[in-house]
Order: sequence, then C-alpha cells, then structure tokens
Amino acid sequence: MSTDDATTVANDRLVDREDMIVCVDVDKWYGDFQALNGVTATIKEGEVAVVCGPSGSGKSTWIRCINRLEVHQAGDIFVDGIELSNDLRNIEKIRSEVGMVFQQFNLFPHLTVLDNITLAPIWVRKKPRAEAETAARALLDRVGIPEQAEKFPGQLSGGQQQRVAIARSLAMEPRVMLFDEPTSALDPEMIKEVLDVMKELARSGITMMVVTHEMGFAREVADRIIFMEGGEIVEVGTPEHFFTNPTEDRTKLFMSQIL
Amino acid sequence: MSKLSDINVEAGIADAGPPQQGGSLSVGQWLRTNLFSNWFNSILTLLGVFAALLMLRGVLNFTFSENREWDAVRTNLRALMTLSYPESQYVRVWVAVGFLMALAGMSAGVWENWGGVSVKRMSTWLMGSGGFFALCVLLREPSVIIDSEGKVLRTVEGTLQRESFWAAMTDRLGWWIAVVVLIAMGAAIWAWCSEPDRRNNSVAVTTVVFSGLGLLVLSLWLVPYGHYAFADGTYIAVPGRTVAFSTKMPWTVMWLLLFGLYFVGRSFRDTQWQGIVRGSSNLLWLISPMALFWVVLRDPALDYAHVLSTDLPMGLAFGVLGGVLLWVLTRADAGEAGRLTAVGLLGFAAFNWVAAFFGLYPMLQKARISFLLVALAALVAPNFIGEVAKRRQLIVGWLSAMALVHYMATMMNTPSTVELQSSEFLGGLGLTLFVAVIVVLLSFPLGVLLALGRTSKFPIFRMLSTSYIEIIRGVPLISVLIFFSVMVPLFLPDGMELAELAAVLTGYTLFSAAYLAENVRGGLQSVTKGQYEAADAIGLTAVQRTGFIVLPQGLRVSIPQLVGQVIATFKETSLLAIIGLFDFLRVANSVIPAQSEFMGVKREGILLVAMIYFFFNFTISKYSQRLELRVGLGER
Repeated sequence: MSTDDATTVANDRLVDREDMIVCVDVDKWYGDFQALNGVTATIKEGEVAVVCGPSGSGKSTWIRCINRLEVHQAGDIFVDGIELSNDLRNIEKIRSEVGMVFQQFNLFPHLTVLDNITLAPIWVRKKPRAEAETAARALLDRVGIPEQAEKFPGQLSGGQQQRVAIARSLAMEPRVMLFDEPTSALDPEMIKEVLDVMKELARSGITMMVVTHEMGFAREVADRIIFMEGGEIVEVGTPEHFFTNPTEDRTKLFMSQIL
Repeated sequence: MSKLSDINVEAGIADAGPPQQGGSLSVGQWLRTNLFSNWFNSILTLLGVFAALLMLRGVLNFTFSENREWDAVRTNLRALMTLSYPESQYVRVWVAVGFLMALAGMSAGVWENWGGVSVKRMSTWLMGSGGFFALCVLLREPSVIIDSEGKVLRTVEGTLQRESFWAAMTDRLGWWIAVVVLIAMGAAIWAWCSEPDRRNNSVAVTTVVFSGLGLLVLSLWLVPYGHYAFADGTYIAVPGRTVAFSTKMPWTVMWLLLFGLYFVGRSFRDTQWQGIVRGSSNLLWLISPMALFWVVLRDPALDYAHVLSTDLPMGLAFGVLGGVLLWVLTRADAGEAGRLTAVGLLGFAAFNWVAAFFGLYPMLQKARISFLLVALAALVAPNFIGEVAKRRQLIVGWLSAMALVHYMATMMNTPSTVELQSSEFLGGLGLTLFVAVIVVLLSFPLGVLLALGRTSKFPIFRMLSTSYIEIIRGVPLISVLIFFSVMVPLFLPDGMELAELAAVLTGYTLFSAAYLAENVRGGLQSVTKGQYEAADAIGLTAVQRTGFIVLPQGLRVSIPQLVGQVIATFKETSLLAIIGLFDFLRVANSVIPAQSEFMGVKREGILLVAMIYFFFNFTISKYSQRLELRVGLGER
C-alpha cells in the first residue's frame, strides 16, 4: 500500500463526512484459495469509489461481502456504523440501506417492471401500494424509461433492464449503492445509457461503490480509485493520480493494458 | 457441380418475394413431401396405414359385435356414476353437480377469452368425420344372418353365417346417408368461405361447446334412446322411448346452469368486480369438493344442542382470541416479542399432536388443528405489519378460515342421514373424482413444503424431507393404502378413530406429496442463484423471497410434470378397489358382472370406463398446454 493510505480522503468536500463503509483487515477464503487478504478501506458518505483490477483480483467478492451475499471469515465490516455479523437483524438493516446492481441485472422475470420495483418498498418498507407505485414511476422517469412500466423484463433490451435494476435498488431509498460490473454484460451501444444514469446518480450525492472496467466513467465521476490484485488493495488514489503517475508497477501494467 | 450453381442462380432469381407459407401446399404436394418423399418412407406410410386400418377394424368389430351386451352399460349408468346412492335422496347428487356446473360456467366466463374456431376448420372437421364414418361402415364386418324366428344362423362347422358384403352395405343405407350429408355440409361451408372476404370468419369456441352440449341435452328429449334402469332393484328395459324424466330434466337444468352462469361470469369481465369474482370463484373451487361431499352429499344430521354448547363457542373463541392476538402481533412495535410468541405457539401446537399419539392430553381434534393454524398465522403476521387495511386483511382472512375449518369439522364429525348400502355412501365415478381432487388439493401444499424442505439450508429440514420422500417413494402405493386402511387404526390411541375413506385419503395424500415434492424440486432448482441474490439484496425475508420470487418461477417450470402427476393420481385411484372401496373401474369390473341380468358382462363396462378416463385426462392435458402458453413458459 502506498501514496494514499486507504483510509485517507481524496476529495476535500468529503473531509468532514461520516464514514459510511469501513472494512478492517477483511479476509475471505474459498476452500484453500484466499480471495480477500487483509482488505482495509473506508468509504465516506457521499463518496464515489471505483474498484478496479484484473479479473480474479477479488473486487467482486469484496463488494458482495458488504451486503453479506458472501460471508467474510476474518476482519470487520461496518456499514453506517452497523457491524456486519451473523446477527440476522443487522443483516436485514444493512440490506435495506444498501442497494445492489448486478452484472446480470437479476430482474424478476415473472413480474412486470413496476412490480419488480415496488415489491420491496411494499413488503419490506411496508409502504402503501399506491405510494410505492407513484415513487416507482418517478424512478423510471429518472432512469429514462417511464413508458416501460407495464412490460416484463424479457421484453426490454439489456440497457433498459439494467436501468430498471438501478430503479429497483433506488426504490428502497438506500444510503449506499453497490455496482458489481454493471456494464460488463451489455452490448457496447447500451453501455452509455447505463453509465449516464450512474453519473447522474453520482452527482446526486449518494454513496457509491462501483466495480467496473469503464475507466472513462472512473475518471469523470470517481472521488477515488481503488486498485486490487490477488485479493489485496494495491493502490488507492484520485483519478488524476491513476491516469498520470501511478506508483506501483502492477498498477502501471494494468493501466497500460486497459487504456 | 455446374448443376448446383445453376440451382443457386435460379434460387437467387426466384427470391424476389417472401417464401410461400407451409400451409398453402396442395394436397398432392403435402402427401409427397411428408409421406412419400422416397421409397422407404412410402413403404413405412403404407405399412402404417395398413396397421391403423386393422386396428380400427378390430375396435369396430368388437364394439358392434352381436356378442356385446351394451344394455349392461346403459342400465347401470347411474351405478357407474354414484353406485348405490339412494334414489330418494338423489336430488343431492344433482345439487352437487349443478353447483359445479354453475361454477364452471362462471369461471369460464370471468377468466378466459376463449377465442374462436375458424369456419373453414369446422368444414374440414365435418368432411373429415364424414370420411371417417364411411371408412368405419366399409371396415365393419357384415352382420350375422338372423332367421325369421330370431335365431342366429351358423354354418355346418359352427361358425356364424354372415351376409354378403353388398347386402351389408345396403343394410347400412342410413349410415351412408349420414356420410353424404356430413361431407356435403362440409363441402358447402368450405365453398362458402373460400371467398376472400369470408376466409377469416370464425365462431366463438364457447358457441361451439355450448351448442354441442345443448344438442346432446336436446337429444335426450327427442331421440328414443330407450329407458333402461334398475329402480329399487327391479330391472326396467323399455326400448323405443326417450330416457326417464328423472334423467333428462336434471341434465337440462345442468346445461342451463352452465350456459346461464357463463354469461353472468362474462358480464363481470373487465369490470371493477372482475378481481373479486375471480378470487371468489377460485376459493369456491378449493372449498367445494369438501363441502359438496361432506355437507351436500352426506347430509349430516346436526345435533343442535351439541353445536350450541361446544362447536359454536369453540369456533368463536378461536376466531375472536386468535383475531385479537393477530391484531396485536401486526402492530408496528411487535418486533421480537411477536416472533417469540409465534415460535412458542408453534411449539405448543406441535406438542398437542405428539401428545395426542400417546393419549396424554385429550383435546378435540378441531382444537389441535386450530392451535396449529393460530401458530402458522402468527408466523406470517409480520408480513402484514403496516397500514390498518393490510392488518384488517389478515384478520378477515383469519376469521373466514376459522369459520370454514370449524364448520367443516363439525359437519364431518356428524353422522350421515343417507341410507347406506355399503360402508361408504358414494362409489363409482363420483368417488374416483372426489378422491382424486382431494388428494391433488391436499398433496400440493404438502409437496411444495417438502420440496422447500429438501432444498433448505437447514440440515434438519433437509434430512427430514429427504428421508420422508425417499421412504415413501420406495414403497408401492398399494402398500401405503393397505397400511393406512388396516394398520394405522391399530396405532391410534383410544377414542381416536379414522374412517376408511379418511384413512385412504390421508395415505394417498402423503404418497402423492412425495412425488409432487420431487417435481416441484426440479422446478425450484431451475431458479438461478442470481434471483436469490437479488431478492436478498433488496431486503426480502426468506419467507418473502420464497413466496414472491422462488416459488412462482419454480412452479411455472414444473407445470408439465405437475400435470403428469395429477393425471397419474387420477388414474391410480383405481387401486382403491384393493382396499375395498367401490371406485369407477371396480363397478365396471366387479359390480355389473355380478348382477343376475348381466352375469359376467365385463368388457362393455371397461371400454366405457377407459373412454371416460381418457376424456378427463385428455382435457386436463389440453388445458395444461393452454396454461403453459398463458404463463409464458419458455420466454424467460
């Protein structure tokens, strides 16, 4: 670890914000294979952090540990001050505050777009249906597809599906959004429409943690870039730092390969 | 090589318009491409046609043979349907059938837009059936010769003497006329709708079905089918008149109910009442088999003193106290205490059942069931926390469930007033259908629970469900049925009794649930990991994830297997004969051949039974295809 310590803040506007996600020495093994090795990082409230690195570097595993889709074996994870442990109540609380967008969208194919979005607000947040539907339509409007509310996910293009997935997460009014390679399964011409939605979201001030290979997106909106390899955080810094003079050799190699 | 390129060039030139649709081939072209494309296929076609004709000839000669005694079937139609249900109370059977007819009409009206059959297609049906009749008339062997004294002529060797082929054909003049009329009608309609503006004319499916059934009912009043029956044990055979008034009148009412309620149902479609009518007709389908059997057909003689002193207060107590408890448990601040209460109640309910088997803790069966229901309702209660309207839904649901359970339990515990002629008051098709429907209805939730248990994360649930499924699947149905009818009554504690039919229903349900569980599990496994993760990520609880995400997708995939299971369950009810119940097949196989009038006449009844089984199963199968289309199987 060098230049910037993982816990330092890259952007002045975030200096006196609360810590939103705190990871301390997080380890995870799959059998004998160590997927995460002493991952330590702090994400501030309102920060946009992009996690990048070669495939198999543990970035997806890490982000999935943050809402307990994967279970870490050692170290501590705190989200908004709540410790992620085996306590079901904590997991429930964290999940209702953390939205997640998947590479494969994972929309519910048997429900309409509107039902996909309103399901959790109605049954988890206990909102009245009418109110949830109004909010859902507003969200669809925000992601730019208000006319698709009554369709089924199978009738939409990949980019539209991913935007519905973003709306579905936002419907829970999360304080943190996690994106796990949101554009990797999309055709090139659809990537932009999803990235535009994510940029708009980033400017709205929500805390975001994004695993992606879209370095243009990272350069434009990220407060910090976290580079991982072999289950470890190798280098953390501002986008300028990464694009102009990365310190570590592995980072240099990676940047030269993808740019 | 040069030839090949020529073809390609030609194809390129001819490619100006879209290719011809497959349906517009002429008959000759169709035959050539599909049946006679090469010499090997031609031989296969000819052999296949020859085999089919032989089989048809066999069936015809069997059905219309002089040795067939179809009187045995027409006299015993009522016995085949309900066995010995007493004549004096038969109106109860008609009420039950009438209710189902009305419900069927209502559902057909409010649920489906049945679409239409094209007129052109119907004309081909007419011509096709005309051709088929002609084939039958040609294939059926000539009749035997009967002399003026009514004796069958035999040759010297003792074989039957038959008419010549031409004599037989002239004898069947009536059939030939029918053939000509059918083909002429078909051809006329075909010609009529070949004009371009009539090509797409169609008639509603409902019109076709209702008028077909209407013609059938009308024929009861007009066609001299003859009056054949056993009335109070005496054999009646009056040919040359229409069927008895007590048959044609009820069927006319049945048709009117079906027809009339269809329009009632349709008038609700696309109105604000549609949802309510759909919901309540579904609910009635679920309740009606039990209510019709135990209340309408069985006619319990209520002991009002006992009802007022025990049944009613108990039902009210469970309803009111349970309702209050659920109201408290759905308060926004119920939280942890609510979960603990639910788990405690579940433990208590389980204890009641275990204690009952050791005779420790006497309690009415109804109370045990009610305690279990209270516990289950308390478990789902957290899902209804929120607005008052949502909480009220749970309470209303609870009160109606209690009313229904206590009403049904009281009715089932009250002795019947039907004058029994055997241990069970119903037999024949009625019993077969009842058992099949109840077993399917009860084993479905049980099977789903077992499948969920087997795919659960908790080792104890997984182990219990797996061993249950494997044990039941390792045992033949007959032994399960015998076990429940003969052995289980021995294990029951003093004072707990199980009627023969109840024992069989229990055993068969447990058996069927194990198979159903495996079919459902197949569907559950097709739900991808991403669906679970997405459900978790938006914060659904495990119960909500299962109910809203996993089950709907899993069940949709298992529809074909589930329908197969339903069909198998329906057919295997014929095993009930082995433990002494008189199911449909047994009436044909043992009851009719034992009558002195029809001693040993078996084949006719069995043929009819086979046809009726086929009719039901084919209908189920066809409907499931429609269902698969509607839920969009395959477009995931």
